[in-house]
Amino acid sequence: MTKKFSLTPYLFLSPALVVIATFVLYPILAVVYFSFTKYNIATPAVWIGLDNYKELLTDDIFWLSMRHSFTYLLVTPVLIVLCMALAIVVNRQIPGINAFRAIYYIPVISGSIAVGISWRLMLDTNGLLNGFLLSLGILKEPIQWLAEPAYTLPIAMLLTIWMGLGYYMMIFLAGLQNISEDLYDAAQIDGCNAFQKHLNVSLPGLRPQFVMVAVVSSLAALQVFNEIYILTGGLGGILNSGFTVVFYLWRKAFRLQEAGYASAIAIALLVITLAFSIINIRFLERGTERE
Amino acid sequence: MEIAHPTYRPDVRVRSTRTKKVLENAFWYLILTLIALGTIFPFVWVFFTSFKGPSDPIVSVPPQLFPKEPTFDNYIRVWNQLPIPWFFFNSILVSCGTVVLNLIFTSLAAYPLAKMKFKGRDAIFFLLLATFIIPPQLTSIPSFYLAVKVFKYYDSILALIFPALATVFNIFLLRQAFRSVPNDLIEAGKMDGASELRVWWSILLPVVRPSLATAAIFTFVAQWNDFYWPSLMLHTREHMTLQVGLVAMQGMMTSDSRGMAAGVTMTVIPIIIFFVLLQRHFVRGLGGAVKG
Repeated sequence: MTKKFSLTPYLFLSPALVVIATFVLYPILAVVYFSFTKYNIATPAVWIGLDNYKELLTDDIFWLSMRHSFTYLLVTPVLIVLCMALAIVVNRQIPGINAFRAIYYIPVISGSIAVGISWRLMLDTNGLLNGFLLSLGILKEPIQWLAEPAYTLPIAMLLTIWMGLGYYMMIFLAGLQNISEDLYDAAQIDGCNAFQKHLNVSLPGLRPQFVMVAVVSSLAALQVFNEIYILTGGLGGILNSGFTVVFYLWRKAFRLQEAGYASAIAIALLVITLAFSIINIRFLERGTERE
Repeated sequence: MEIAHPTYRPDVRVRSTRTKKVLENAFWYLILTLIALGTIFPFVWVFFTSFKGPSDPIVSVPPQLFPKEPTFDNYIRVWNQLPIPWFFFNSILVSCGTVVLNLIFTSLAAYPLAKMKFKGRDAIFFLLLATFIIPPQLTSIPSFYLAVKVFKYYDSILALIFPALATVFNIFLLRQAFRSVPNDLIEAGKMDGASELRVWWSILLPVVRPSLATAAIFTFVAQWNDFYWPSLMLHTREHMTLQVGLVAMQGMMTSDSRGMAAGVTMTVIPIIIFFVLLQRHFVRGLGGAVKG
């Protein structure tokens, strides 16, 4: 029996594919093209060959941004450890536990802009943190938290971690709830204490979630923008101390009208992301082999 | 020792495990409360600051949390300076519009990927998979060009809805859900003369309702909280979404902490209420998303 060719599947797929082709596939090709041009969006692009890439190689701000983006990846291990621990803490049946879980999720829901502005208010030179530290006598002089270049990136990273806690906790929690209770009982019979139970049962059982959180949070770290934008008022911090690759891309493309050069930055970002994803996929494959 | 007091033992053990249980719970409640304070403290502080009048210091040594003379002045000031109702209206329109259209587009696409055999299926599948890792900021430059020169929807909320009409994540989520629908159910529908479109609408969609809810919530929250692309597109105050409007407010009231606090409170409370109402779905949704 030969199957008749049918248009149906293509018709079902076409609306979504048209959208994705227009807003993802075309832009990728266009960015590759723009990266070889001098371009400012308003006027037509002018081909300049490899000039943008040559300039990238010697662009100190670009390399500084790269360094910052890679530093930012430190949020991933911190988030994994904290969120796994938090998930274990909230994975117990005691009255009111759902309320606690919900509270931990509130920063996720509120959005990085509202959270960022709240943090900015607290970290202001006349803000709560200084007031608190001064009244405890820990500080003699107020610290300019947001104006001190050395603090820009760490504060942004803390903000990312603080906002991510609830989100990744929920992912780990879902994983914990899929682990059979029998395994914990078996561990108990084998003489494991509470800590050993988690070490021997929870950690291996959370492997898929572990991989997922590692992938998602590291990609998010490479793409960080909102935190930097809010904390530095859209300026990127004193002495470019808050510049990440994405922030630099944004600034070049939409503040300095150098969309061609920004496209070259975008290609660099794509290469890093690709490399990272390949590492992650390797990691993921190794994870599934074990199961 | 336990064997030496066989009659005495059970009672003692019950009592001691019970006190142990109470102590253990008290310990966990303490930990949970401390973390909860750390999580919502900035909001609590912002909330109280938003009610402080000029005579209440934002910060003093020692810090003062509660306003002595609570006032709504800050809210009135923000409300008069910025078109807050428009921010809400635009955010709701963008988020709801995107959710409805996106779910139609992605669930249509997910059906053949899950249940039909056709040429090019694997190629399409891997193409979609590959787009997963494309940073959204990378596509923003050509998308900006499209918005300004081709679709001419710059500075309108259409610019936020169009690119979000189909998301690969939702296609995968729904494909996974459709795959778990028994083929017999679909065959039975076709026996009764239902078209593929009818099968999709009356058989598949009702069965995967929980996954649709998950996709809807995540799409809604993602759109609601999106800032990067909306900030590039929206410039007229009345066209702004909440996130873009909040940043505009931050720019306007740099020295008015009480006003900013009021603005943040006003925008955060509705989304928290929304979340509390749908909390169950959030938890289940995240679990499902990881499995899928």
